[in-house]
Amino acid sequence: MRIVLNQYPNNEAPHTAMSTLPATASALHLLSRIAAAVLGGYAFCWGFIVLSMALLFAAGMSFHDSEHLSGMLGLLLYLAVFCWAFAARSLPKVWLVLAGGGAAMAAAASLVQSALV
Amino acid sequence: MFQNFRLTMAWLHTWFGLVLGFVLMVVFFFGALSVFDREIDRWSVPQSRFAPQPMPSFDQLLRPAFERMQPSKESVDLMRDRVDGPMPDRFDTVRSWGAYTTHRDPVLQVFASYEVPKARDPEETLFTLHIMDPRNGALLPDDHLRLGSQFFFPLHYSLNLNWKELGTWIVGFAGLIMLAALFSGVVMHRKIFREFFTFRRHKSTQRSALDLHNLSGVVALPFHFFFAFTGLVIFASIYFPVAHTQLNPLHEQSEQMEAHATGLPHERAGVAAPLASVDAMMAAAQARWAAKGMAGEIGFLNIQHVGDANSYVSIYRAGTDRVALTGEGMHFKASTGELLREDPPRTAVDSVTEFLTGLHLQHFRHWLLRWLYVVGGLLGCVCIATGFIFFVEKRKKQHAKAGGQGSRVVDALALGTVTGMLIATAAMLLINRLLPSELPGKGDWERAGFYGVWLLTLAHAFWRSAPVALARHNPAWREQCWAIAALAPAAVLANWVSTGDHLAKTLAVSYWPVAGVDLCLLACAAVAAWAALKLSPQTTPLVLAATAEMTHG
Repeated sequence: MRIVLNQYPNNEAPHTAMSTLPATASALHLLSRIAAAVLGGYAFCWGFIVLSMALLFAAGMSFHDSEHLSGMLGLLLYLAVFCWAFAARSLPKVWLVLAGGGAAMAAAASLVQSALV
Repeated sequence: MFQNFRLTMAWLHTWFGLVLGFVLMVVFFFGALSVFDREIDRWSVPQSRFAPQPMPSFDQLLRPAFERMQPSKESVDLMRDRVDGPMPDRFDTVRSWGAYTTHRDPVLQVFASYEVPKARDPEETLFTLHIMDPRNGALLPDDHLRLGSQFFFPLHYSLNLNWKELGTWIVGFAGLIMLAALFSGVVMHRKIFREFFTFRRHKSTQRSALDLHNLSGVVALPFHFFFAFTGLVIFASIYFPVAHTQLNPLHEQSEQMEAHATGLPHERAGVAAPLASVDAMMAAAQARWAAKGMAGEIGFLNIQHVGDANSYVSIYRAGTDRVALTGEGMHFKASTGELLREDPPRTAVDSVTEFLTGLHLQHFRHWLLRWLYVVGGLLGCVCIATGFIFFVEKRKKQHAKAGGQGSRVVDALALGTVTGMLIATAAMLLINRLLPSELPGKGDWERAGFYGVWLLTLAHAFWRSAPVALARHNPAWREQCWAIAALAPAAVLANWVSTGDHLAKTLAVSYWPVAGVDLCLLACAAVAAWAALKLSPQTTPLVLAATAEMTHG
């Protein structure tokens, strides 16, 4: 994060530019970004939580411990991917990683579960 | 989305902060009030103004009360659609009886849950909750709304929107946005250390609002982050209900395994059995805690599968002297009183979870920290409110030139969530003391009063908002400050008249629950009057000058 930040001069004043959207960010693009951050981010964290729970349980942790630990990490991850969804350059990539990654992790969790139950 | 990361974060901070800021304002303010929810309860339900009590005798007091209890009519009506055939008149299969108390509670929370015969989902459960006077076992009337723990506290985490837990989801999303706003705020400004000490109150409103926004955000940054995060952690299983959906098979399996390992039956046996003396089990549990060098009071008592051979009694130690909530559970066979299991020491993950949730919910005894929570919560309110003011001040001149109404609308909504919310709260306290305590449905009138007054303040804010579109101040800020300055002392006066507990009396006997609420109301009135005075002199000459210009021009 530091490296990214330091590419820009210190005296830049974000307040002056933040109310005006650049022409590239159309309303549809913006809505898609917000949906990616909120819904895509949720799907990604859901996938992370179920997969992490299934793996921790398989590794011998109790169900509720794995639920709490995965939940805490998943919430912090949500914050990270939420911000990333706005910061990333390519919107299709954001959707692919969040929705695709979430679905893949959820599917993997179900596989782990079916092996355990 | 923008040229660089900081601009993107600035956009995120501004627009998500603006939209969810109104929710966050409610969450922070009523969260700050919830720190003293039990004390506000004492103020609003005068029958409960007596000293905190320990868990009473189960055999003498709790058991007869539990045996008389039935699910509330409303909860039965809500269940009707999920049952095949008519609802029974009585619910005789009790899943559990429970009682909970803390070191601040004179009254006891008692609750029961019942199996629902012929429910489509056999797991369906009806709940009922009552408040008991533990000195004599009498239940307090249900329509006596305990304003602190029954209205302000749920408003803090659910906005009291209970339909499909909608309010809890909105608050959860606002919590995520709070975290994102803190992160993006730090990215935007970066000069964290300098902002700790910067407040130029004589500069323009825009400048000093931003200074105060940064200062209140930075000074309490760990507090804000911690509370937003732990709030989400507390409700993590609502926001990500994985254990009852995708991972339900695993959950069921682990429950069975756990029941097997702990010897605490997961299901009823289907064979009736009597209940041995629970008082003896309570005494045994306390003796075992004392033997381990951690003597303590009972905080939580639960009886599972009541009336069945598989029934067991769980007794938990109150968390008065440490951060974690109740713990050190002792489980007894209900029919014999034999000790089935003593909870092992917490695992590492469980300790962390208990610490995070315990620090947020704060049921332990530490009055200084309790006050620091209030300060932190109010700093959060200052941070959000100054965010609104900065948003308006930055844009209202442009909007006035372009004929836009955006800053006018935001300013009016900010009024509704800053002064309007305070007026509604003070009005609710006043209504609570004015309505006779025997009035049926008293709590509903108080709720209606709160929302009605809040809507009125919002209407007033919009009605008076025209000057903002001309880049001036909305006079409603001053007027609503005066309303707070009048309503808050009126509530103190109404408390005196209706109960006789005036400040000289409550202070003389150090009855802080009531004296504290009265003093806070008076302090709030003083701050509001000071703000109203501060708001008056600059605006009046300007408005007069402008009017004169228009009439003569």
